[in-house]
Amino acid sequence: MEAANSRVLPDFLRGFAERAVKMLDAEWAGVGEILGSRVEIYARPAEFPANEKEREWLVQGLRQRRPGLEVLPLKRTGQHIAFYPIYASDGELMGTLCLARKASSFSRAEEKLLAALASHAALSMEKVRRFSQLERSKKQWVEDIDAISDYIAVHDQAWKIVRTNRSLATELGIPPAALVGEPISSLRHIAETGSALPCPFCRDTREAREEYIATSVGRTFLVSTSRTRGATEEESRTIHVLKDITDRREAERRYRELFDSIQEGLFFATPEGQFLDVNDALVRMLGYESSEELLRADVSAHLYPTPAAKARLVRAIAERGALRNYEETLRKKDGGLLHTMQNISAVRDALGQVVQIRGLMLDVTEQKMFQSQLQRERDFNQKILNTTQSMILVLDTAGLISYANRRCYEAGYRKDELIGHRLVEWVESSHRKDFDAALQTTAHGQQVDNLELRARRADGSLGHFSISLSPMRDEANQVNNVVVVMTDITDAALLQAKLAHAEKMATIGRLVSGVAHEVNNPLAAILGFTDLLLENPDMPIAAREDLQIILQETQRTKEIVQDLLSFARQRPTQKEPVNVNAVLRQTIKLRSYDFSSHGVEVSEDFEANLSPTLGDAQQLQQVFLNILNNAYDAIQESGNHGRIRIRTRRAEDDIEVAFMDNGTGVVDPERIFDPFFTTKQAGKGTGLGLSICYGIVRAHSGEILCWNNEGECGSTFVVRLPAATESSLAAAAKEAGR
Amino acid sequence: MTATATPRAAAAILVIEDEPSVSAFVRAALERRGYKVVQASSGAAGLQKLEAGSFAGVISDIRMPGSINGADVHDWIRKNRPQMASRIILISGDTANSETQQLLASSPTPCLEKPFRVQKLISMVEKTFGKP
Repeated sequence: MEAANSRVLPDFLRGFAERAVKMLDAEWAGVGEILGSRVEIYARPAEFPANEKEREWLVQGLRQRRPGLEVLPLKRTGQHIAFYPIYASDGELMGTLCLARKASSFSRAEEKLLAALASHAALSMEKVRRFSQLERSKKQWVEDIDAISDYIAVHDQAWKIVRTNRSLATELGIPPAALVGEPISSLRHIAETGSALPCPFCRDTREAREEYIATSVGRTFLVSTSRTRGATEEESRTIHVLKDITDRREAERRYRELFDSIQEGLFFATPEGQFLDVNDALVRMLGYESSEELLRADVSAHLYPTPAAKARLVRAIAERGALRNYEETLRKKDGGLLHTMQNISAVRDALGQVVQIRGLMLDVTEQKMFQSQLQRERDFNQKILNTTQSMILVLDTAGLISYANRRCYEAGYRKDELIGHRLVEWVESSHRKDFDAALQTTAHGQQVDNLELRARRADGSLGHFSISLSPMRDEANQVNNVVVVMTDITDAALLQAKLAHAEKMATIGRLVSGVAHEVNNPLAAILGFTDLLLENPDMPIAAREDLQIILQETQRTKEIVQDLLSFARQRPTQKEPVNVNAVLRQTIKLRSYDFSSHGVEVSEDFEANLSPTLGDAQQLQQVFLNILNNAYDAIQESGNHGRIRIRTRRAEDDIEVAFMDNGTGVVDPERIFDPFFTTKQAGKGTGLGLSICYGIVRAHSGEILCWNNEGECGSTFVVRLPAATESSLAAAAKEAGR
Repeated sequence: MTATATPRAAAAILVIEDEPSVSAFVRAALERRGYKVVQASSGAAGLQKLEAGSFAGVISDIRMPGSINGADVHDWIRKNRPQMASRIILISGDTANSETQQLLASSPTPCLEKPFRVQKLISMVEKTFGKP
């Protein structure tokens, strides 16, 4: 009798109980099977026990472990209940055999029979249990395999499918059992390794284990193959597990593509700085042919211009773990230098040891060069701005100063009176309109060059400035600033004015000289023939008187022409040392009577030991006399209490004589030396006096100037004559001795 | 006026002057005092006359049109008729001219500044050339 499976066990155990009743003369028998906390009773006949209390007592008795037979009385029926334990081979209590009969004692033979029955039951129960355990675990295993998402296919030696798991069947849209017996080649469309074998997943059937990549359109599988050798050829199995690694492969591919195509250099290196992997950009950057060449061990010695640089990098990584924007100069394959900026991070093991360094490297050579070029340019511009003799200012379009170069401060302007102020405030009021107009023009994008206007200097004096305004544009091509270049051309303007005046005077001189010569010819004839007529004794008295008038007027004309010629004279008639102070004293003496009788005070402020000038004392006296006369007339006209101050001094290479009066001043100082320019009443002068002075002073290589006194009445005349030098004195002496 | 051929008054005074009125006045003044006068209206004409004959003296304007001016005549005489060098009187209408001034400064030759009185002309002629 075999209990082959769990389904027949209850009948089998009941059969046992029946046999015990018969063989041991019992009224009732049963087998209690312990199933965890529950006890299942298989009994013959079925009516025992009678009530719940009795059943509980029985179950208690069945669960109890005991070494062998135990007999307990049951009062209700007067029967005796015998318990015999059923132990498994490992000692576990699987159940208890029990029977009820009148007799309380069991003979030795009966006890042996009981033991044999219990042992037989134990064998059957254990066998059934093992079998159902195996059944369960087999079922569990199938479920486990089905739960795996990887595809599993098992085939035999004949290339027939023995098993597939659910996930593969689901992929194919059929139940797993449907594939059993089909040729394994029917799975070719899933993926294949490319071998010529009937199985698309097999490569080398001699190998017990294989692992390789199989691909299909759009998918990649990692195929793990195991081969089991059965007792016979037919029982040999080949198990393929297909892991879909499409995503992983894609990620890897993308990563590699990124690694190789990125423009920045990427590297993996040992903690000592030896490259382990580099991308193409880094290879190119360092000028190598290939990554293999760059990965050679001897490269890193060449890479760092000094060993110290490498040591510093390695140390910095070990200390800080990561470096951001680390600047390092490396040596390229050809020896050229590469300026790099690197971001490096360290990979550490569980103990915190650096096991690898990873980094990104940027070629900043161009930026570096650009930067230094920019710096050089900036320095250069700064130098220009600082060393130029022009004042350079930057204004916003509203005219407020935002920048002033060093020259502005050297000229005495203070920062707080420039920056943030309107430049126009420094411009003389009558010129502000011009300046504002120029600023407007520039703000509209047009350059304004050489605008000449007067502006206040730092010391408060007015200067003559040439101003150029240039628009400065922002990125959007909008004028946002105006660059102003200001040059103080006061001296240049003065010089130019003097030159223009001298030129004018020279032109007048040539004209006058020509006119004088032309006038002298007819005048000579008029004077000559008048003389001849007057010599005639037959001339009537009345005609003689008329001829005298002609004679007088001719004489007067002659004088005017002579004056004109003195104006146009180009060199003094005499060239001898002249003591200017002495000539001045003599000249003042000539007019002293007039001056004192009209209350005009003359003060002398003469520098002692004044150097002589070379020239004609008489002509110079004429100059001084003319100026004094002019001053005297101006004082008379003004009605002031007259004062004339005469000062001499040495001014560089010149002797300077200044006459300051408090008269009416001069109407037009610019034109006062022009011939016939007179403000005096008709008949009071020819208007040639100061022109003659001009001619004489010019002939002495000097200059004569006139201006109205600032802030007070009257005018000032200044005569500058070159001071005689030893060489000029010697030259003059030689000339005179010839 | 008729020039009588007297041996004493053979040599005439050469007046070189481009201005006809001035030339006429000089000639009139000199002839009234018995001098013989030959006129030339330019420097070039004056030199031709000087090369052709001999004169008691030469009166020449300095500034004249044409290629030869008074200074050139003056220089020609000093070079080619050295015996005449002290018998020259220059006339100038423009003594302020630097060339004129240079010429006068470098030579003892007397100069009459236009306009001049008859008396001054006669006294200078008598002093330089002698009486007629």
